[in-house]
Amino acid sequence: MTTYIIRRILWGIVLLILVSALTFLFFDVFPSADPAILRAGRNSSPATIAHIRHELGLDQPIYTQFVNYMKGIILHFNFGYSYYSGASVLSLITNRLPATLSLTVGAAVVWLLSGIPIGIISAIRRGTLLDRTAMGVALVFVSMPVFWFGIMLLFLFSNDIGRYHIFPGAASYVGLTSSPVDWFTSLILPWIVLAGTSAAIYSRLLRGSLIEAMGEDYIRTARAKGLAERRVVWRHGVRSAITPVVTIFGLDVGTLLGGAVITETVFDIPGIGRLNWQAIINADFPIVQGTVLLAAIFIVVANIIVDISYAYLDPRVRYS
Amino acid sequence: MRRSTRSLAAFAATGLLAVGAAACGSSSSNSSSGGGSSSASGSPKIPLKAGENPVGQQLTGKKKGGTLKVYSSGDFEHLDPGQSYYALDYALIQATNRPLFSYPPNSATTVRPDLATVLPTTSNGGITNGGKTLTVHIRPDVHFSPPVNRAVTSADVAYAIERGGNPNVGNAYFPAYFGAGAPAPLLGTSSKSWKGGPIPGITTPNKTTIVFHMAKPGAGLLLQALSLPISAPLPQSFVAPLDKHSPTTYGSQYLVATGPYMVQADKTGKIQGIGYQPGKSETLVRNPNWKASTDFRPAYVDRINVNVGGDATVIGQQTLKGSNAIQLDTPSQANVKLAYQQYPSQITFTQGSGDHYVALDNQAGPFKNVNARRAVWAALDRAAIVKARGGSLVAEPATHFIYPGVSGFVQAGGYPGPQVDFNKNPSGNMAVATKYMKLAGYKSGKYTGNATVQVVGANSGNDPAIIQIVNSAMTSLGFKTHVTEVDQATMYSKYCGVPKQNIDACPTVGWIRDFADPLSVLYATFYGPAIVPTNNSNWSQTNDPAINAAMQKAALVVDPTARAQAWANVDKMLVSDAAAIPEEFGNQPNIESKNVAGVNQLWNEGTWDFAFTSLK
Amino acid sequence: MSDALLNVEDLRVSFRTDDGIVRAVDGISYAVGEGKTLGIVGESGSGKTVSSLTTLGLTRSRGSDISGRIMFGGQDLVAMSDEKLRTIRGNDVAMIFQDPLSALHPFYKVGWQLVEAMQAHGSISRKAARSRAGELLQLVGIPDPQRRVDQFPHEFSGGMRQRVMIAMALANEPKLLIADEPTTALDVTVQAQILALLNDLQNRLGTAIIIITHDLGVVAEVADDIAVMYAGRIVERGTAQEIFNEPQHPYAWGLLKSIPRLDSPRGEELVPISGRPPSLINRPSGCHFHPRCPYVQDSHKQIDPRLEPVASGQSHAAACLLEPSVRQRIWRGLREGRDLESLQRLAASSNGQAGGTSGAPPAPATASSTPPSGAAPQEPS
Repeated sequence: MTTYIIRRILWGIVLLILVSALTFLFFDVFPSADPAILRAGRNSSPATIAHIRHELGLDQPIYTQFVNYMKGIILHFNFGYSYYSGASVLSLITNRLPATLSLTVGAAVVWLLSGIPIGIISAIRRGTLLDRTAMGVALVFVSMPVFWFGIMLLFLFSNDIGRYHIFPGAASYVGLTSSPVDWFTSLILPWIVLAGTSAAIYSRLLRGSLIEAMGEDYIRTARAKGLAERRVVWRHGVRSAITPVVTIFGLDVGTLLGGAVITETVFDIPGIGRLNWQAIINADFPIVQGTVLLAAIFIVVANIIVDISYAYLDPRVRYS
Repeated sequence: MRRSTRSLAAFAATGLLAVGAAACGSSSSNSSSGGGSSSASGSPKIPLKAGENPVGQQLTGKKKGGTLKVYSSGDFEHLDPGQSYYALDYALIQATNRPLFSYPPNSATTVRPDLATVLPTTSNGGITNGGKTLTVHIRPDVHFSPPVNRAVTSADVAYAIERGGNPNVGNAYFPAYFGAGAPAPLLGTSSKSWKGGPIPGITTPNKTTIVFHMAKPGAGLLLQALSLPISAPLPQSFVAPLDKHSPTTYGSQYLVATGPYMVQADKTGKIQGIGYQPGKSETLVRNPNWKASTDFRPAYVDRINVNVGGDATVIGQQTLKGSNAIQLDTPSQANVKLAYQQYPSQITFTQGSGDHYVALDNQAGPFKNVNARRAVWAALDRAAIVKARGGSLVAEPATHFIYPGVSGFVQAGGYPGPQVDFNKNPSGNMAVATKYMKLAGYKSGKYTGNATVQVVGANSGNDPAIIQIVNSAMTSLGFKTHVTEVDQATMYSKYCGVPKQNIDACPTVGWIRDFADPLSVLYATFYGPAIVPTNNSNWSQTNDPAINAAMQKAALVVDPTARAQAWANVDKMLVSDAAAIPEEFGNQPNIESKNVAGVNQLWNEGTWDFAFTSLK
Repeated sequence: MSDALLNVEDLRVSFRTDDGIVRAVDGISYAVGEGKTLGIVGESGSGKTVSSLTTLGLTRSRGSDISGRIMFGGQDLVAMSDEKLRTIRGNDVAMIFQDPLSALHPFYKVGWQLVEAMQAHGSISRKAARSRAGELLQLVGIPDPQRRVDQFPHEFSGGMRQRVMIAMALANEPKLLIADEPTTALDVTVQAQILALLNDLQNRLGTAIIIITHDLGVVAEVADDIAVMYAGRIVERGTAQEIFNEPQHPYAWGLLKSIPRLDSPRGEELVPISGRPPSLINRPSGCHFHPRCPYVQDSHKQIDPRLEPVASGQSHAAACLLEPSVRQRIWRGLREGRDLESLQRLAASSNGQAGGTSGAPPAPATASSTPPSGAAPQEPS
């Protein structure tokens, strides 16, 4: 197991280097705005642009740029500086991470707490009105555009522009450390929006998976043992049915930690997603590179965690 | 001279306003009730804020104190007056800095002394040597914010300007108004031996006097250019070490102020992570060293919280329905409609937010022929473009290049523009177009050549619709076209701004003045010698000797009235030459909360002036 | 048999499905005495598993209808509440299943699953339950039980898993153990070991056992009584002796002939019963077995035979429309290896009906094969 984890981590690092290299390549190959010109502003003299290009290292061959970038990360843990604000990418990311973390973790709790019980109840009450209603609603949530859902919630329930003044609206986010209560209330609507789709997907997934599990022989065995139905469902059925959910949960959380652009924009939460999006628009390559790398790290780590937790969830799985 | 990024972003927001504008289609007819405004042809054609249009707006605020909340979906680019070149940035810079001269919010054309004590003229001895020397006296009683604290001297202004030539600062307009590219460069800047550092053409005989020397009579232009943020003083001892970084960390890490407000900072003047959270927020607090007696800015509110980000529709609603708030960037079309219908006292429209035009390659391809250019102009449905841009509230069909609010607009014909047959009908006139195609040598009135017209435009917001309209004008005349849509920055940096790419038509380029002087609208965009191989702004590659000569002459006119007339003549020449096809004159919509007495600054695209806005 | 441990009376189980009502069990009655072994034999789909699952209440659902009585210890398990039945399930009545791998939860250690079975009925400390789990594994013949309790099912071989299942079933010392195809998934030598184990445990613990199987060979050794099921009904019932020596029903003959025998010549084909089990939604008219019966007569397609004693007063009973004497002659003929055609003629002639060839029975696959000779109860050697 330990060697497996070490091997996975090493592969993960290789993967991250590849992702970085690809990001470099994308910016080089595809037509995008010239960062030096953007940085210099219009009307700037060719000398100024050349100077900026030199200062940013853009006049070097792409592989040299890449090697320097990698050196900076590995030797100095330096992810470069924004072309615009000159702020260090690392500081920008660490500045934005708490918001993204809050958004993701809270949403994950919401979608697990809603998706899992709904999935279980639907599976157990399969075919009933309850099941059909729940699955119908889930379908609506799955197909609802996040942007629209977010705006609708704001127009309905935010305490500034809403029809019913209930929850804090857009731009109300505050850090957990500055005010836990405001932090919590400001994130209620974003959590609902971000969790909505996932809750629906998870409930449908778990329902299917649990229906399948409840048809297994070991469920019959559990019942034949005289176990209470609740225990049969939870300890025997859900225990098996949850594994695919854990897989996508790990990947979803990993992906969301890389930033949820739309939700962050609609609710004006300064997270990683918005940082990345703005950087793409500005051709602020160091930030794009940093956030892409960060997202890749989260996904790689999430994958490793999923695989390891799989070994704990399913004792038949063994890695070597 | 600014490329019109802001306006584009502004108009880009949504697609709803066309509907909104149609719903209030009678707006131009009832606009006459809009209160006493300026001259006939320059008068606004749209209903402005009830009883208080920005031209005649009250500058006296309602209440002193309070916190103004500013919503902006986009962030500032630079807080450093030396680096900034963006309308959004200027809004913050104007509240935190004291350039030598400034425009009061209700004037787009007349500067007044700011850090300077008096406006230099020939009669008061400020302009001497036939307009080759400009002498400015500055106030002795303006101080830097902490941690510098000391009084501003003329050397601080000299340093602020000279660092514009430092590549680490990379001021975008330094070359055009002060350096080698200026009609009248400051002495020394055009010599090859000058590699930055103190500018020989700037002298500071004493702590309150700064003198600008030129070889040509450029004082008329320079005086206006000194209203740009670059003339705001900076303490060399504090800033110079930061300027050694590339890019400089002044503005991103550290900042000091001379204006009524300062970005909240720690004891060392560091702002990042304190009053400046890139992409998140900016906090402006009162500058403790600012004295109201030295400034014409009333600075009513105590604090300004800028909240960056969010969806344009949401923040617009927050502004309209909330309190103490203004939206800094352009409201979404949906919200413009909503505000216009339901919150009429909370929306203003200011003229002169820039223009867009179709740049046609004057040097090569089918549009080398002036009559072919005139033909496309005649065929173009500019009314449709206005509609696509958001309707008559935010745009007017353009007839020439100097746009409303820029001096020379009236002299060049006002809204109707110079009298030529191909700009007369805003919806296009195929008969006229055919006439010019025939004059261009196409007997059938249709293009019969083999060339394919290369069209490159921006792919966001309303721009694709504009490309469509322009494209159909060209194809209706028989041109075969190939359209490429890319993001706006790429359009400029890889296609339209690179002459050797041979792009025949760029239908979504735009321009915003730097200040009200017509040179800042026409010079970089149509002056032949200004053509450069990359990062070019003369997208149509206009290089007509007669026009170039006229511009050279007009650039050096010192008297304001004569200057306006001279540039109006250049404008007429450009129209006659159909150097490009003006599409629309933009108006800037602005929204505010009910309890905000907002003041718009007319000279800067018409957005809010923080230092004049107050709470009710 | 009012003194029997389990008395099933006219049990009917049907399921409502989208395709129609599935009559899985259609009025069966049987009894199991204390410490006795009943074998229920039939093909898949004969209702044998459903009937035993019903005993445990495991067929109860919104889509099922259950009637009749299942008397156990003086209580009717059919009428009993779910909660009450649960206290009997796995406690007084336990069950083991066909595939011991899929029947054990793959994610839990064997010991945990045993402990869970014990803790479901009565408060036993975790520690005590664990040590008892070890004892149980030892009881069912698993070597090194203290180590094995901490292993997962996939770490056990098939036979060992079935031993675990048996241990789990015995955890609460049930009075009745229902073994549903306990050896089907196992290879032949392991089958014998498991059967021997069941036999041994029964002798030591006095547990009554119901063995459900499609293989008469399995029950030959262990069962006291045998019930043969077809299409949801018992078509023949008797002591093991009676069933093996004097089988009455043509279906039972088929089952007997399909017992693999170690003394059969190598390469000899097993003789399955031709045709497929009937649909339980639309069962054949008359005798449900008639489409597959080589000795079918026209009247058999209308008359539904009842389970009747072979001779009055006997417990041996069969549901067959052939005359008992004819059945006896045909069985004798089968044992002597007579060809099918002559036996069919025998059935037709003695039936007293003209045109015995009419309604031609499905071509029997057995026609050319050699019938088993000396079909006495087979003792697996």
